[in-house]
Amino acid sequence: MKPFGLAVRLLWRDSRAGELTILFLALLIAVTSSTAIALFSDRLERTMTNQTAEFLAADMVISSHATIPESWLEKAKQLNLAQAQTAEFSSVLIENDELLLAGIKAASNLYPLRGFLKTTTSDYADETIEHKGPEPGFAWVEKRVLSALKLNVGGLIMVGEKKLVIGKIITYEPDKQGDIYSLSPRVIINKQDLQETGVIQPGSHVHYFFQFSGEQTQLAEFKRWVKPQLNLAQRIMDIHEDRPELGSALNRAERYLGLSSIVVIIISGVAIAMATRRYTERHLDATAILRCLGCKQNEVLWLFISQFLLLGLLTSALACGLGWFVQEMLFKLLRNLLPQSVANPGWLAIFFGMMTGMTILIGFALPPLLRLKKVSPARVLRRDLEPLPTSAWLVYGLAGGIVGILIWRYTEDLNMTVTIFCAGLVLLLVLGLLVYLMLMLAHRYLSSMPLNWRFGLQGLLRNSRATVSQILAFTITLVAMTLSFTVRSDLIENWHKQLPEHAPNHFALNIFPEQLPGLQTEFKDNGIENSQFFPVIRGRLTEINSVPVKKIVSKDSQGESATHRELSLTWTEKLPEDNKIIVGTWWSPEKKPEVSVEQKLAESLKINLGDKLLFVVGGQQLTATVSNIRSLQWDTMKPNFYMIFSPGTLESFPSTFLTSFYLPENKKTYLNQLVKHYPAITILEVDLILKQFKTILSQLTEAINYLLYFALMAGFTVLFSAIYSTLDNRIYESALLRTFGANRSLLRRTHIIEFALLGLVSGVLAVMISEALLFALYSKALHLDYAPTWYLWIALPLIGAFMVGLAGCWGVRRVVTSPPLRVLRES
Amino acid sequence: MQTQQSRNIIVTENLGKSVKTSSGTLHILADINLQVASGESIAIAGESGSGKSTLISLLAGLDTPTIGTISLNGKSLTGMDEDGRAAMRNQLVGFVFQSFQLLQGLTALENVMLPLELRGDKNAKNAAISLLERVGLSERLTHTPRQLSGGEQQRVALARAFVSRPAILFADEPTGNLDSKTGAKVIELLFELNLENNATLILVTHDQTLANRCQRIIKLDAGRIV
Repeated sequence: MKPFGLAVRLLWRDSRAGELTILFLALLIAVTSSTAIALFSDRLERTMTNQTAEFLAADMVISSHATIPESWLEKAKQLNLAQAQTAEFSSVLIENDELLLAGIKAASNLYPLRGFLKTTTSDYADETIEHKGPEPGFAWVEKRVLSALKLNVGGLIMVGEKKLVIGKIITYEPDKQGDIYSLSPRVIINKQDLQETGVIQPGSHVHYFFQFSGEQTQLAEFKRWVKPQLNLAQRIMDIHEDRPELGSALNRAERYLGLSSIVVIIISGVAIAMATRRYTERHLDATAILRCLGCKQNEVLWLFISQFLLLGLLTSALACGLGWFVQEMLFKLLRNLLPQSVANPGWLAIFFGMMTGMTILIGFALPPLLRLKKVSPARVLRRDLEPLPTSAWLVYGLAGGIVGILIWRYTEDLNMTVTIFCAGLVLLLVLGLLVYLMLMLAHRYLSSMPLNWRFGLQGLLRNSRATVSQILAFTITLVAMTLSFTVRSDLIENWHKQLPEHAPNHFALNIFPEQLPGLQTEFKDNGIENSQFFPVIRGRLTEINSVPVKKIVSKDSQGESATHRELSLTWTEKLPEDNKIIVGTWWSPEKKPEVSVEQKLAESLKINLGDKLLFVVGGQQLTATVSNIRSLQWDTMKPNFYMIFSPGTLESFPSTFLTSFYLPENKKTYLNQLVKHYPAITILEVDLILKQFKTILSQLTEAINYLLYFALMAGFTVLFSAIYSTLDNRIYESALLRTFGANRSLLRRTHIIEFALLGLVSGVLAVMISEALLFALYSKALHLDYAPTWYLWIALPLIGAFMVGLAGCWGVRRVVTSPPLRVLRES
Repeated sequence: MQTQQSRNIIVTENLGKSVKTSSGTLHILADINLQVASGESIAIAGESGSGKSTLISLLAGLDTPTIGTISLNGKSLTGMDEDGRAAMRNQLVGFVFQSFQLLQGLTALENVMLPLELRGDKNAKNAAISLLERVGLSERLTHTPRQLSGGEQQRVALARAFVSRPAILFADEPTGNLDSKTGAKVIELLFELNLENNATLILVTHDQTLANRCQRIIKLDAGRIV
């Protein structure tokens, strides 16, 4: 026998006879979805990383208060990294008798390496995208500079001793840092003009940014090489280290993408298992004949396995193409939301899709297929000789193993994987038993039921083991779809909560206590929403329980950086919004000096409840006992503090106040008025950064919505094909009933009852499992608050009953519409 | 004795098959001693449940006996594993069944080609076409079993049985699903092909007329030869 050639011919003959359609569809959906999701998430992730790189205007930046050694730049050059430099400093500009403290940025010719600037020439002109800064002799300025200094585009502006032509108005600057230099009104000049301005003298306060971009591996090598050489005033900035708020949003989005692909794979796996089971049952006779004609057991098995592998390869290849097309369509749909330059599809993701396809096929199809090996050749004489089912250990072990690997890949946490897996397994076993008992109970009352209910239930009871496995299969599918839907809704809601419509977009610092009442009134009169006013006192943590802090901290830790500089300390009566006490209690009634420490800093410095912390504030020492450890959300754009003291502890020290407030874009000019009234107050404008952040979140939201639709679509399609794979017996038995005189309406009602019950029970079980899994997922993986979704308890059973009922009745409609003898002959 | 054995293509000694049931051991076949000479035609007759199908499945190596031995063409099936028996079937045996047992998804031509394809025979198609012509189905090559009548399906099954030129043909109630006129035609064809191929024929039937056409009749009753 030449098994492969024969396998090809048999595969072709089977496909022509329509035997492979359901299997082909299930596999096609599985691989198309997983490839599309893998490609989409890979591209989206790289696009988003690129876009977040725009926040730095480079892939990696070294920030420094002095120039960096030439050898570093040389090393970057050797590694083929593109380089640019900016120098930022504050300078007072005087024009038309008006004074303005501006943030000057002198940019080299290649700036920005990533992203772009946006400029315009007047209020009415369109924005232009600029991939480089101004030419020598020109200055680009923010609009506020023009209004404050009564200047126009085309006019001259004096920066230090250098006269420059105002070329353009800056409307967008990618790497706007949240510090004082860049939050003052911006003026960008060419680096070549810097010398002539004469502003930079020895001892001047200048912040240099050395920007690099290039291949990931080269960047990583450069980072490894340069990191040990940095001094305390130098810092590496890249997407991972510098933008934690974006990091967490992207991280959650990535986790969601991972979840979606597991969902689609599990749904498809269930469909493939069901389709293969049908295929196996329909090939029992053919196998018996092959065995009768002299095919050995292993030859038979190899014949079918090679057919499946061939089918898998061909279908996966086709599905990879389709997956590529689908993700391309998704990107087309999202093109208005996504950055202009989208990362190219990665070949690795396509390969991953292909491998996923083959793995699902082997994992879910092999066990039912193994049954064919056991077909007795004597079946040609006695059709009732059914082969023994494949060992349950193998069937569930292989499929479970694959699901386990997928969960592990997703969670990257072995303990959690084992917990989820074991809990899921126990849950499925218990629920399976429950369904079985329910069926047995129904059996007892069968005789007292109306005819259509009796026939409908008999359809389910006739092969109760098959019914239980069908219910569990539909349950898994519904659970997967529910998870996808609920997690997506809560993720998006959480993002919206994190950045509500009127999230503060400006900070006001250095407010003196005597200015406080006036400023509060001014904010109120102008309808400006502000957060709490916090007193701020600069102080340094020096000892923990009489041990110097420097002896406690480990190198490169958060604790180390916190102890190298002065911290902003505050006190407050009430726990600030978005802060949560993890251990301990808020202030004790005794009014002794107490301090609340931020959780991550406490971990880094190994601070525990009751520890005595010694601070040096304004040359004086202050000891406070740790009364609680608190977590907070750094990305809420509200004032946040590592250390909060109890009232009465810090009042004797001189302090200024800090607040954040929301200023709509059309009220931006109010800032000039505010600065005029309170010249000493420093205003930090974070509205542009916030806008960028919001754009990214809305892009992620849209992308995730599309993924959900995709997962749901795949789920429904697979649900339909899975139901189709269970219809053969039902069609045959219904045709028999018709020959015995059952009329169409009785059969229709019977079918509705049978399938709707199947879906209803699956829906109820799906809600129970979903709630349990959501609880685990939220508390362990996504770190979101969990609340039971009551509407699921009604919606899911109804959706299950409707979908399974509809698909089932549609599938068996032929029995009702065609002459029964024809159906029996074809069965 | 050796000469006699070599002329016998099928030999069984004390062959028996029993199954355990809840009410004790059920003996389906017992003490079957048979010698079938090469080229001989034998009818196995008996009532329903007399053990005919079990005997034929044991003789063809489709099932294993509980007791006794069988040898085909001088080779003992006892101690041979399932794969060994499969190889033996492939080289030696052809089948015709009551329920035709054609593969539904395959055309008439593909059904007939199958045994030769399993052997890796490159001439499978031509051989299958010529046999289908011989059974009068040259116009039906591309038809699937569903598009053929019962008689036509059984003629395809005959073509499939003889295409590999088997030394032994097992036929299990070959006319059981056919009307008498069609059945007679099929039987006529079966005997003609059997003669042309000089094959040994083991025919299971409860039709006395059909049994009479064979050289020898073995009658079974309650699992024993009577």
